Formats: sequence, structure tokens, C-alpha cells
Amino acid sequence: MKIKDGFILREVAGSFIVVAVGDRAKDFNGIINLNETGAFLWERLSKGADENQLKEALLAEYDVDENTAAADIKNFVSKLEEAGLLK
Amino acid sequence: MHRYKIADVVFDLQTIYGYTVKLCENYAYTGNEPPAFFAVMTKEDIDAEKKLAPEFPEPYLESLAVFRKLCDYCLINADGIIFHSSAVMVDGKAYLFTAPSGTGKSTHARLWREMLGERAVMINDDKPIIRYIDGKFYVYGTPWNGKHRLDTNMRAEIKAICRISQAKENSIRKVSGAEMLMTVMNQTIRPSDITAMDKLLSLIDKMLKSVDLYFLGCNISREAAELSYTTMSGEKLL
Repeated sequence: MKIKDGFILREVAGSFIVVAVGDRAKDFNGIINLNETGAFLWERLSKGADENQLKEALLAEYDVDENTAAADIKNFVSKLEEAGLLK
Repeated sequence: MHRYKIADVVFDLQTIYGYTVKLCENYAYTGNEPPAFFAVMTKEDIDAEKKLAPEFPEPYLESLAVFRKLCDYCLINADGIIFHSSAVMVDGKAYLFTAPSGTGKSTHARLWREMLGERAVMINDDKPIIRYIDGKFYVYGTPWNGKHRLDTNMRAEIKAICRISQAKENSIRKVSGAEMLMTVMNQTIRPSDITAMDKLLSLIDKMLKSVDLYFLGCNISREAAELSYTTMSGEKLL
């Protein structure tokens, strides 16, 4: 599971956004606004982390229980899938 | 060939049609500064614009292609960005109204002119260029000035950016950079090259941290203009 090439995550004015660059900008003209946890997961997904690795990372970084972390990740990943951002 | 100075960038231009030459005539340059670049417009430049907006005639599309070349140059070499907005200067400070097309930014700027008379100078009613120079953000007039053809060949330091939305009751509040970010991103011409994109994002980051930001909900009335002017300028109306 990995984010498609051509998307970059940046922090601008205290907010996290994802934009498309290069060839990807031809078919994706939008801007994705992520919260801090979303940005945390996105960064790992862009390096190809699976759901288990995401969960471990979340548990290590945030004060959250395992079930909540798993549910949050499932929710986030399915949103990315729906939007066609994963390969 | 014609020479222009727009947003303090001197450049030479050769066009196919006369439309852009007429459009830019107030920005013709005869001084001693050497040109930063020479744009020779081609059929391919016009065709690229036609793909984005097939309904427009070629002379107009060529003017957009010239604008795009100028913007590309400004972003990479002059810390310059295009911000779709209506820019008004009052007492030496610029106020930028932004909103999706048709929301009423030009109308609100007109209300300011009706209220403030000659104190309100239209820098540009549609596509000004913003430049970051020595730690300050300036807005420059450009000939790409919107359907009411309002622009002045000058610059002014930006005091505030205001997002306009239509509302029955008038209200205004100061907002954070994070709240304003998506508005600015959506009203800015974005490059696809990653280096240029990073440059744009870093300029937007600095701008959102250094000018005052407001959300204004307003109707079309003098009261709306009074509220936005007195709040953003900190001045009372005489």
C-alpha cells in the first residue's frame, strides 16, 4: 500500500496540505487538507507502510488505544482509496 | 517588439496579435533597465491556452499566455505570485478582497470607492501580482485587470487580505493563516513543477504569517464597506 507518485505533503501556515506536481498535476488539480494525524499517516503511507506498521507508529507517537488507532487508520485509508490516491 | 515593466520586471515581448500590445500600453517601458527575458509568442502558446478555455478568441488567449509566462518568471526569479483578487489602496496601504468569481469582490471594492472617493485607488480588480521584497509583501497593478478594466501601474504594501462571502447580515472576524490557507491556494495560479510549487508554498506561508487576515460576510451596502474598512484599517470614517 503506497501513495501514488506525484503527490507532495507540505506544512503551510500551520496547516498540512497535499498537492499534485509533475504529470500528476494534469489529472489532479485539487488540494487535500490534512489534520496532524492525517499528515502523520500520509508520510508513512508515502513510504509504503502497511496498516500494521501504521498502527504501531500511531501507538508509539500518540496517546491512543489500539482499537481507536485501528479504526482511525481504516477510515483514513479507505478515504484515500475512494479518492484514488493509493496504488 | 515591445518592452514593458510589470511588477518591476522589465521584459520584451513579440506577439502575433495586437490585443496584448493594446492591453499593456500603460506598462510600456522606455527606461534604461535591461529586460529580464524576451517572450516570443507562438501558435503553440495560444493552443495551450485554448485547451484550458476553448471559448475565447485567439488574441485574448495570447494575452493569457503572456500573463502565464510573466507569472512563471516572477515565481522563480522575483518571489512573485498571482493572487486572484481585487486590490484597493487606501492611505498608502493595500487591501485585497478575494472570493470565487461572482461572489462580489469587485462589488465590495466599488463600495469602498463610493465611500472613500479618491482616497481609494484600484491597484487591480482581478489578477494583481504579489511580490515579497525585503521582508514585505507588495501588490502590483497589472494590465490583466478584470471586466471593469480597473488597474493602476503602481505598487503598495499589503496590509490585509479579506475573504468575502455573501450574507444577509454583515460580520467580520480576524482569522488565522491555517483558516485562510485553502482560500489563498484556490485563488492562486499553481505551477506543476515541484521546485516552483515549493517556492509558491513557502511564499504563501510567509504571506499568511505577515499580513492581517479576515473573513467578511456581507451584503451590498455602505454599512458593509464601513464595517470592513474600519475593522481592517483601524481608522474611523471622517
